[in-house]
Amino acid sequence: MPANIDTILFKDIDEPGLNTREVYERRGGYEMLRKALKMEPSAVLDEMLASGVRGRGGAGFAMGRKMSFIPKGTMDKYLVCNADESEPGTFKDRELMQKNPHLLIEGIIIGAYCIGASKSFIFIRGEYDYVADILDAAVAEARAAGYLGENILGSDHTIDLVVHRGAGAYICGEETALLDSLEGKRGNPRLKPPFPAVQGLYQGPTLINNVETLMNVPVILNMGGAEYAKIGTETSTGTKMISISGQIKYPGNYEIELGMKTRDILFDLGGGPLEGRTFKAWFPGGSSSPVMPLTEEVLEMPYDFDSIAKAGSMLGSGAIIVFDDSTSIVDVCYKTAHFYRHESCGKCSPCREGCNWTEKMLVRIKNGDATPMDLDIIESVCNQIMGNCLCVLGDAMAMPVSSMIKHFRPEFEAYIEAKREEAGFGVAIPQTNRGAHAGPGPLLQPAQAA
Amino acid sequence: MPRPVVKEITFTLDGREITAPEGMILVDAAGKYGDTEIPVFCYEPKLGQPVGACRMCLVEIEGIPKLQTGCSTPIRDGMVVHTQTQRVHDAQRAVVEFLLINHPLDCPVCDKGGECPLQDITYGWGPGTSRFIEPKRHFKKPLELSPLIAIDRERCILCYRCVRYSQEVAEDYQLVLQQRGAASYVSTFDGHPYVAPFSGNIIELCPVGALTSRAYRFRARPWDIEGAGTVCAGCTAQCNVELTVRDERVLRVLSRDHSEVDDGWLCDKGRFSYQAVHAEERITQPLVREGAELHPASWEKAIEAAAAALKKAGDRAAALAGGTTTNEEAFLLSGLLRDKLGSSHLATGVGGEQPLDVVRALADPKLQATVPDLEFAHTVLLVDCDPIDEAPVWDLRIRKGVRRHGTKLVVASARPTALDQNAAATLRFAPGGAEGFLVALDAALSGDAGNLGGAASAAGTNATAIQEFADALRAGGEEVVIVYGDRALRGSAGRALLNIASRLNLANVANAGLLELPSTPNGRGLREVGFAAGHGPGFSTISAPGHGAEAIASGLASGDLHTVWLHHVDPLRNYPNRPAWEKALGTAQTVIAVESQLTDTVREYADVVFPAEAYPEKEGTITHPDGRVQRLRQAIGHPRAASDVPGSGVRALWQVISDVARELGHSAGTAIAGAVVSKRVFEAVPFYNGMTLDGIGGRGLRWQEHATFEVEQSDPFVLAVPASLPAKGESELRLGTFRPLWAHKDVDLSPALQFIRAKQVVELSKADADARGIGEGDRVEIGNGTRIPGTARIRAAIPAGSVFVAEGIAEHNANVLTHGIVEVHRVGPGSTDATSIPIQSTPAVEGRAEMPPSAGLPIPPREVT
Repeated sequence: MPANIDTILFKDIDEPGLNTREVYERRGGYEMLRKALKMEPSAVLDEMLASGVRGRGGAGFAMGRKMSFIPKGTMDKYLVCNADESEPGTFKDRELMQKNPHLLIEGIIIGAYCIGASKSFIFIRGEYDYVADILDAAVAEARAAGYLGENILGSDHTIDLVVHRGAGAYICGEETALLDSLEGKRGNPRLKPPFPAVQGLYQGPTLINNVETLMNVPVILNMGGAEYAKIGTETSTGTKMISISGQIKYPGNYEIELGMKTRDILFDLGGGPLEGRTFKAWFPGGSSSPVMPLTEEVLEMPYDFDSIAKAGSMLGSGAIIVFDDSTSIVDVCYKTAHFYRHESCGKCSPCREGCNWTEKMLVRIKNGDATPMDLDIIESVCNQIMGNCLCVLGDAMAMPVSSMIKHFRPEFEAYIEAKREEAGFGVAIPQTNRGAHAGPGPLLQPAQAA
Repeated sequence: MPRPVVKEITFTLDGREITAPEGMILVDAAGKYGDTEIPVFCYEPKLGQPVGACRMCLVEIEGIPKLQTGCSTPIRDGMVVHTQTQRVHDAQRAVVEFLLINHPLDCPVCDKGGECPLQDITYGWGPGTSRFIEPKRHFKKPLELSPLIAIDRERCILCYRCVRYSQEVAEDYQLVLQQRGAASYVSTFDGHPYVAPFSGNIIELCPVGALTSRAYRFRARPWDIEGAGTVCAGCTAQCNVELTVRDERVLRVLSRDHSEVDDGWLCDKGRFSYQAVHAEERITQPLVREGAELHPASWEKAIEAAAAALKKAGDRAAALAGGTTTNEEAFLLSGLLRDKLGSSHLATGVGGEQPLDVVRALADPKLQATVPDLEFAHTVLLVDCDPIDEAPVWDLRIRKGVRRHGTKLVVASARPTALDQNAAATLRFAPGGAEGFLVALDAALSGDAGNLGGAASAAGTNATAIQEFADALRAGGEEVVIVYGDRALRGSAGRALLNIASRLNLANVANAGLLELPSTPNGRGLREVGFAAGHGPGFSTISAPGHGAEAIASGLASGDLHTVWLHHVDPLRNYPNRPAWEKALGTAQTVIAVESQLTDTVREYADVVFPAEAYPEKEGTITHPDGRVQRLRQAIGHPRAASDVPGSGVRALWQVISDVARELGHSAGTAIAGAVVSKRVFEAVPFYNGMTLDGIGGRGLRWQEHATFEVEQSDPFVLAVPASLPAKGESELRLGTFRPLWAHKDVDLSPALQFIRAKQVVELSKADADARGIGEGDRVEIGNGTRIPGTARIRAAIPAGSVFVAEGIAEHNANVLTHGIVEVHRVGPGSTDATSIPIQSTPAVEGRAEMPPSAGLPIPPREVT
């Protein structure tokens, strides 16, 4: 952590007993809730808008704006905390919830107060059973202390919170699939629009945010939105939890100020590559972000939402997965495709069939029964998936896979040749016309631009 | 409830300005107003909200970076849409390629081939070749999803239509998707057969050959067949159908979507009972009794015999009509009896006769609700009827209203209905208590506390319950539709109903009113063309009214009446009190029957039998309960007799009646063509004046929209409290009957429907069952003196003290029980009937009907035919 700011979410994180209300309150906990209840909900919203804090779950949409989309007026509104942290490589929310559950609860209560929701949920992935137990205990403590329930802290607001354990599907981290799952249905994404802010849980307006985002709410209220916005870069404000994993010396969770140089993250925090290895590539924001080779240029890149997007990838959930030169990129590619094929819900055709097809082609490559032409088909299939799906799961497979082929094509080709040799298939016969559709052209040519 | 008002807007589609109603879905607007087809698979407006799952309809909309699904985008003013850009073509081609990679492409042996949206869209939008060389997904095939439907999961493109239908339209909640991703497949939750009253609709919904009709599989290809539009005459709902005909045989029944009649759905009875048309058991030539036996006879001989018997009987002749009787047949037959023989002993329904002023008042166009009103009304009230059994598609229509338009449903019936789960209020009265209920409801609405208490206890309920129900009925809004069965109209019930209508001011509210469920499919038409004891065509007054059904039976038994003509009617099966009818038919001098099967009536009692036409062979008109005159059109030729001599087989029934009239010298009752009779009907019934067969066409004409029918308005009637129901002892139960959807002679003769033929069930409450040591599925006997066996079904929603058995079924019919108070007991030790599989025997909430009540029937697995 640079010296100019203190850690925020990780402040006191290793304090023993921080997960109990007593210690949390001793550290100033629930003061912000008291402060919020004295403010108008719109004033709370103004602070959020001023902070410019962007969603920490993956999409990076400004939380304040999302909150402002929730209609005013009396109706059944809901706040849902997305704790389904299922993106491979992401493990920040687990530590935050495990060690500091009351900060999340406080953030949820303030958020619910701000949008006028009386019911809120934490949708936590089923595998985080022990974390859910901690949350349950914390919720019970908060309820006993009058922070949750009817007339919280003597005000006329009713806010309740339910911790709901998911059943273990990646797709339930997608906000609308999460809502379906919460309603007791099959966890399939819904068509958008209508967006959850208009028609979400049980058809009511619903605010869905990630754990880390909601934990920032009391922090922002404490610092003041404008003050918070000074941390980080102009468009990526605040600090970000990152989870570093892969072939690196010191994997783990770190809190950084957005805009920190990639080199500082990987070498100062992560400790650089393992003995005798060199970095090859990384996923900058979870397994669904396009892979980037770790060139000098990339190492100079500031780690924030916009810089990474400009470089052709995304910050996502802040899960950095690093590969060194001992790893075959084909294996990484296969693992990624396999994961998304397995997790595709099957609702929309491009994702269901495209992920399946891509994985099968990669299996063929690994078995030595492929030609370099198959790389063209994989790229084309990925292109056909991207942007055409109901939700972003299809894109989450297509983007890393096509990026790997784009950046490491020679390695793929060498792999294919080597595997063909090994399997005894001999030299690949060049096939033409398999990279593109051989069918008739479009019925009508698009109108020529004037 | 206000129906949506549409505003016209203009948007740009591929560079052209298109004007269309605002908010219309882009796919529809492009097709209807822009002459541009945007391909779709999962989109089907009848299934509710679009889901955007197949991604076939991607289009480019200016201002939105990503391609959008046309099936979920409502058009807005000034929107600029491109459907022919390279980007759109690439996306659509990609989706077709994706859908085909796991599709077996077995079109040459697929039933859908030639009429398959996947084929058509592949030709129009897909790539010509496949790049997919991986192994395809494999499933065992074909599997029976139910005895009626085969499922081929390899062909399935997972468009979700069938699942959405099951979940959101039929609401039977049986179909689900199992697994996920590329391994997803359609199934029932625990693999049990998908048996539901409306299951066949998924065959038509399926855009590929994944769901096929087992009765139609491999019977024809689309280029072998012709479509013939007509109207299903299987029940009162009169759904519009298209018959698939090959070589003069009906091979399939499809819906001919008419939003004001059936909303595009069919029940399984209508969809599969066509097989009875070609059953070997069918009577295809006239029969005449000689000595004790029926023998095939020539038409001349049969007509002579019938004419002679009628001539001899004179005004002691009677006629009953029902089933698929057309307006034309009823008109000719009633004319023959009334004008030539001087008899008005004409009966149709099995309900009590109502006075002519009530019959007229109930036909008031101002009080007439229509089928779409069921969907859009504020409140729908069901009075002692269950649409699922009597007019099945109305059940779907009411569900749609409740689900999508917030219509409030209130149910008052003796037997729990299939719609109870969707009802805002339900009221149970004792079997036979409909009259008391209506009088009590009228009293509750008018604030007549005296009548309220008396009538409520006469109905077997109490004043508070009725008052709460009346409040619930009033609370929804002014648009109220009351659906009632004509069997409920006994005694003062008709007057009470009119009173209720006037207290709710239904005559002056648009989209509100009464909707009758007649007990025979063309009950309304028969009444309107004058086939009734109390009035002539168009409810005209007649000088000498005749007897109703019950009086005809006693008249025949006592010898007052001599001859009876049974037109598509089987009194021993479908009328109450079988012993009385056995006596009547046994005593009658001559029984003339128009019948298609060797029923008990025909076998034991008929003296002259004319072979009946099946509805696909008929030509004529029938009248829907909401007044829509619809046209039956001949789809296939009449079957020939066994001798194969031309002219010896089935003849048109208008012609048969006309021939009998000619034989009797009644020249006014003869005709040379069916269309001539139709013309006469349109002239004779004042409010049918001006109609023509062409005008009726394929969509029908509601006479209320074209003609007037003045009814004298009267003040609300003063009603007396009906007599109390007969007392019952401690161990006795009150008997109610119901006619299951499947209780139909055509179901009995259709091989595909054998598995679901209605058998006798004895439905009783948990308390009564426990008191008698009866468990679900036990064999029980019910009766008082005469007893019939049946299988026990325990339904939590039945109040203690009532028991229900099925009528209209082939064996152990309820109409042999003549006493309204019965005893039930279990027979045989441990006599659980293993073939009885209740779909859901334990309702989730006490007091709610289980789903669906008519479907809990045995489902043995069957071989693929």
